[in-house]
Amino acid sequence: MSQKIAVELKDLKKKYDENFVVNGINLEIPKGECFGLLGPNGAGKSTTMKMMYCSALVTSGELYVLGLNVKKNFREIKNRIGVIPQEDGLDPDFSVIENLLVYASYHEIPARTASEKAQALLREMRLEEYADRSVDTLSGGMKRRLAIARGLMNSPELLFLDEPTTGLDPQARLWIWDFIKHLKAEKSTVILTTHYMEEAERLCDRVAIMDHGRILAVGSPADLILEHIGIEVVEFDTNPVDLNYYIGRLKEGGYNYQVIQDTVMVLINPTQEGRKAIELIASDKILIRKPTLNDVFLKLAGHQLRDE
Amino acid sequence: MKFIDMIRTPKMNSGFMRVWSRNFLYFRKTWTVSLFWVVLEPLMYLGAIGFGLGTFVSNIGGHSYIDFFFPGLLCSTGMMVAFFEGTYGGFTKLTHQRTYSTIMLTRIGPEEIALGELLWASTKGYFSVIGVALVASFFGLIDTWRIFPALLILLLLCWLFASLAMIMTSYARNYDSFIYSTSGFIVPMSLFSGTYFPIDQLPGGLKYAAYLFPLTHAVQAVRGILQDGFTTAVGVHTFILFLLGFFAMNIAIYRIRGKLLK
Repeated sequence: MSQKIAVELKDLKKKYDENFVVNGINLEIPKGECFGLLGPNGAGKSTTMKMMYCSALVTSGELYVLGLNVKKNFREIKNRIGVIPQEDGLDPDFSVIENLLVYASYHEIPARTASEKAQALLREMRLEEYADRSVDTLSGGMKRRLAIARGLMNSPELLFLDEPTTGLDPQARLWIWDFIKHLKAEKSTVILTTHYMEEAERLCDRVAIMDHGRILAVGSPADLILEHIGIEVVEFDTNPVDLNYYIGRLKEGGYNYQVIQDTVMVLINPTQEGRKAIELIASDKILIRKPTLNDVFLKLAGHQLRDE
Repeated sequence: MKFIDMIRTPKMNSGFMRVWSRNFLYFRKTWTVSLFWVVLEPLMYLGAIGFGLGTFVSNIGGHSYIDFFFPGLLCSTGMMVAFFEGTYGGFTKLTHQRTYSTIMLTRIGPEEIALGELLWASTKGYFSVIGVALVASFFGLIDTWRIFPALLILLLLCWLFASLAMIMTSYARNYDSFIYSTSGFIVPMSLFSGTYFPIDQLPGGLKYAAYLFPLTHAVQAVRGILQDGFTTAVGVHTFILFLLGFFAMNIAIYRIRGKLLK
């Protein structure tokens, strides 16, 4: 296998009880890329990632991380990767700096190296002044930053972030986005999961949209938007009575569209013009906007509410 | 789980020592408080049962009641402390604190986590045994050098009960689950394993049934070695402890691994 591939999945499956949570996915993630696994809750993205960082067993298929087989070389893989799990998993029995030092001891990092590294990371994560505080006293954003620092203690070649901004306030989220951009500038390999499409669009070089344990589409956000949606979206609200009338007109005009409850979205492809669609509809509650990854996701995965 | 998993200890790296160290590091922060309570409780039993109630007993098999009771107290102390650390402590780290999940992110595997935890719970039980033995020596309860081999037997005992505790932890759904194992297993054992009175006093077949309790073998071995020296019976009881501990350890590792890596 090529030295340039960070992670490779071949027909990967994961069964919990009798259900396939991951149902045959294929993927290649090159080194130096920021890759996003997107999907709603229960899509299988976190499970897929857990198999990559060797905290879940593979049911069937092949999975290579840094050229190593997860079934055989999980110790070496775990030595070379960094993981920031969704639930942080900080140790409440220890202070902020002790969390980093104890974690370093698991990796057999010599005490002096560990101490220097921990100081540097606390500085980078703006946690210096909290070094001796108990982790219970930290805010959600600070805990996440500490978890990131912990994931970087062993200078990993590949970083996994499982829903890095879920549950954080806007400021903390911006900080994390900025940090990931900073990692990208250094050509680090980052794999993240998220259910925020906006986050994926901003950060990821490429994304895989997942649902029901399968990958629906893979590509750069811009390519996926162009391919599945187009260049613009004309959006208007209507009511069940008028809906059929509008749809008839859109069909006549050769437009693609998707209907979500009482909202109609007309997908404008590069050969069409949004303004013409507006004229066609002649409704007052109408807007024209740039398409987003969210539109792609709704088109591919449908818009039913998820129970999980 | 197959029989082979009970007799085969998986290959491991030194990671289990790091898990042990993590717990020791935390213990060092709080040891004055935790060891105080852990040692104080058995000393209260020693006062109330040994010196208090015991004065009404003239002698048991040629020994004073306190000399009879003391080995039993050492055993039940080691059992209790190791068991509680392995159940409540282990369960907290397995579930609420997610300590094990975090360790799983490093080069340390689930087997090493299970072994490190189990050895830690044994160690904590053993600290309390040493604590009680030290205090008891001030009361003149230790008059033979054979306390040293007796302490080795007590180490086996702590290891066995730490392993049993980790097995319980792997089955537990919440903290209430441990009420069953405590009330149904640990408490009866501490009462009917020849700790407070000789097993011969048990009615009918129960005196043989008492040998199903692992604690009985520990009490017999420790009391035997302190009072009569290295007899065959001491050897047999010690070997049974070792055997049970070995099985329990392998089952615990197998079970905890199944919890950590699905």
